[in-house]
Amino acid sequence: MRWGMLIDLKKCVGCHACTVACQNENHLPLAMKYCKVYKVGPEGEYPNLTSYNIPIACMHCQEAPCVEGCPSGASHHREDGTVSINPKKCVGCRFCLLVCPYGVRHMNKETGAVEKCTLCVERLETGEVTRCTETCQLKARHVGDLDDPDSELVRIIHKENARPLYEHLGTKPSIYYIMP
Amino acid sequence: MSEYKKVACHFCHMNCGMVAQVEDGVITKVTGDPEHPFNQGAQCPRGASALDHLNHPNRINFPLKRVGNRGAGQFERVSWEEALGDITAKLVELKDTYGAETLSSLGGTNRTDDFARRRFFNLFGSPNVAHTAPVCWIPNFLVEAASYGWAAFDPEIMNTRCVVIWGHNPATSYLPEMRGLLQAKENGAKIIVIDPIFSETAAKADLWLPVRPGSDNALALAWLNVIITEGLYDYEFVEEWTVGFEELSERVESYTPEWAEEKTGVSAELIAQAARMYAAAKPACIQWGVATDQFGRGSSAGAQARAALRIITGNLDVPGGDVMPGPHPEFITDWEMELNELLPESQRQKQLGADKFKLNTWPGYQLLTDNMVRVWGKSIPAEWFCEANAPMLFRAMITSQPYPVKACIVLANNPLVSYANSRLVYQALKSLDLLVVMDYWMTPSALLADYVLPAASWLERPVMTTTYGVSDWLIASERAIEPMFERKTDVDFWRELGLRLGQAEYWPWENDEEIFQYRLAPIGLETDSYEEFVQCYRMAFAPREYRKYQERGVATPSGKVELKSSILEQLGYDPLPHYVEPPFGSEARPEQAKAYPLTLVAGGGFMPFFHSEHREVTRIRLLRPYPRVAINPELAKKMSIHSNEWVWIETPTGRVKQQAFVTSAVAPDVIQAERGWWFPEKPTVDPELMGVFESNINVCLDDDPDTCDEACGSWCTRAVMCRIRKVGEGD
Repeated sequence: MRWGMLIDLKKCVGCHACTVACQNENHLPLAMKYCKVYKVGPEGEYPNLTSYNIPIACMHCQEAPCVEGCPSGASHHREDGTVSINPKKCVGCRFCLLVCPYGVRHMNKETGAVEKCTLCVERLETGEVTRCTETCQLKARHVGDLDDPDSELVRIIHKENARPLYEHLGTKPSIYYIMP
Repeated sequence: MSEYKKVACHFCHMNCGMVAQVEDGVITKVTGDPEHPFNQGAQCPRGASALDHLNHPNRINFPLKRVGNRGAGQFERVSWEEALGDITAKLVELKDTYGAETLSSLGGTNRTDDFARRRFFNLFGSPNVAHTAPVCWIPNFLVEAASYGWAAFDPEIMNTRCVVIWGHNPATSYLPEMRGLLQAKENGAKIIVIDPIFSETAAKADLWLPVRPGSDNALALAWLNVIITEGLYDYEFVEEWTVGFEELSERVESYTPEWAEEKTGVSAELIAQAARMYAAAKPACIQWGVATDQFGRGSSAGAQARAALRIITGNLDVPGGDVMPGPHPEFITDWEMELNELLPESQRQKQLGADKFKLNTWPGYQLLTDNMVRVWGKSIPAEWFCEANAPMLFRAMITSQPYPVKACIVLANNPLVSYANSRLVYQALKSLDLLVVMDYWMTPSALLADYVLPAASWLERPVMTTTYGVSDWLIASERAIEPMFERKTDVDFWRELGLRLGQAEYWPWENDEEIFQYRLAPIGLETDSYEEFVQCYRMAFAPREYRKYQERGVATPSGKVELKSSILEQLGYDPLPHYVEPPFGSEARPEQAKAYPLTLVAGGGFMPFFHSEHREVTRIRLLRPYPRVAINPELAKKMSIHSNEWVWIETPTGRVKQQAFVTSAVAPDVIQAERGWWFPEKPTVDPELMGVFESNINVCLDDDPDTCDEACGSWCTRAVMCRIRKVGEGD
């Protein structure tokens, strides 16, 4: 069992619904965003242009530098493959913010602990999809079990040749992207 | 115990379905309704912030009465009884002195039940209701209606082979529509986007035509030329069902792709290629959009050309084409609720703008209605489709010509931000004896009011989605909770004002639900309450029929699809598509070209806002804290402007500042400024009025009636000559 996600960049229009829905779902402070959406481009010269949008949150890496580097054991892998932070163990040293290649961890100044996307595991366990998947008007996100070769998620990943971001870093992310 | 209410979001007029979880009368959660056909369980960032809006500390919760000078920003809380009593007394006095036409109304886009507004106005006796109708779909609709008896605004993109997105960016303004578009693309449909800006939608297109701002009409004429010259039109349909083809052919002969290349900046070859792509794909459709309503003079001429394209390609009302819904056959439409028959002819004639802009006022509306009733049994509502012209209305407020307009009720609208020529609008609103504003928030326009009344938002009111009563379907949604504090629905407001003005016999219903139940009754589902309809049925779609003209005939004077419109001719307009130079471009005003070398596109929807709304909701605002003007890197370099620096945007009408957004999405000689900007956090006192003149691009736009669209009175927001410079210190 390994939870994972697929994001279709052919579909994402950069509306930020996932960003806001996630903030509300997790009762985040106004300035904190577990999921950010970046606009890439337009590249080229008018009118020969290309552009796309890319949502970025925790990649739930299998070889996660944040887990390996965490001095207190707060960052850890759950049995379902997601990377989780135990706020009671987090000492707020911010080492994980330095080593995460994706820049998706955030210090919550109110609690003194680091936070990030949880892949909504509580929702997944009750059969719901993640909040960002639910709210996506373009249906650009799919969530499922990467270990199940018959899952729709794995099927689409193979069909569309979806890849993780910065695959060459070797962190083995659980978030895949269909490139535009 | 939790209850789940089926509600509809009003944060744009898509009206996506939502489910509100209510516990002991308090809404605890709002999520997308997976059973709703539009959003299918999803929410945009606004919808996902529904509770921030509902419970926001800045919401207006009680009626307020002005106590200081107009604009001083000083109000005191009064009861509804006192507010409505005062307003009634003043209206009676003004009507006795100046006549009923002295009362006007300004409305926003579909956050209201507009049939109630018009019902009140018809009973009161004033024809002077206005919205932003002339710049929002209405010219396109009315020209189509004159050509083929209704608008073909329901394209079946799931079954089509080519979709033309013309002056429309659903990727920022209509996300469910964009989802459908991408689905159509997966199904193999070709997507053509026509836009001077490399929009989020253009980025997903198969073919993007980067036209010069305001040149869309030239492009449409050249498409007609190519399709007719190369014989790519539908011979059979043209022969059997249309009149005026020969005249059209003659008319477009000179509008060659080479001629259009000079106007549009798109190569003749690409123009022809796109025309062939569209004409050869069967079926194909042209999506609705509103940018083409915003060219000022020539807006409806462009609509004539696009209507002709739909006709000659044989895509009208065919599966996968431009489907023309017609009115819902059973339920009581907005038109039937308006009581237009009670407005005397003498008052209709007084409608401001009716002598000049005849298609969007009583003269044209009457002709269209006669034909529609003959064929469909029902017409389109007078709201939006038969209105006082706003630029004329503002001038009447200031000059009392042709007669005094002394009172205005503003509902779901922020006119200082939403109409062109903001300083003139300001002068107009300040000239009034009575200004009433009903809104969620204190806005710059509300700050000038005598009374500010608290409006219930969509979680506090039922919503019946009927596309202004011009679609053949409806979707019904209930309220999650009763209005909080002393907020009211607009139906409550008009009804209670009406009761005080002797209209009791026409307002037999106690609330919104009773009205909706009355309107649904003819469908014959025998539900005991409106809520039961919502819970059990939710929607009523008329059976889809195609080529309805074969059975019903066409709702035009000739009974045919008119390529040469006899209604436009009768109103004194050119009945055939024709070229009109953009009123504020270098072609029309060469003498200004040197001083104002750039072209301004003022508008275009952008996430996360809808029109001038949602600036107060912090989570939303933080996604886009300040207004942005898009500037090409080449221009930015030439002017030494860097991203996020404040830039003055200047036209002969005015200047405002926005932050530079350096992007190749615009051409080097074009800038695109965001619209709708004001700052709820800024000082409220007149003339500051929450920074309404600082970044609001409508300050830079002129609404001189002579520059407005000849038939519909649309003011120009596109292709306006301008210049920019960096804001200096203390500048």
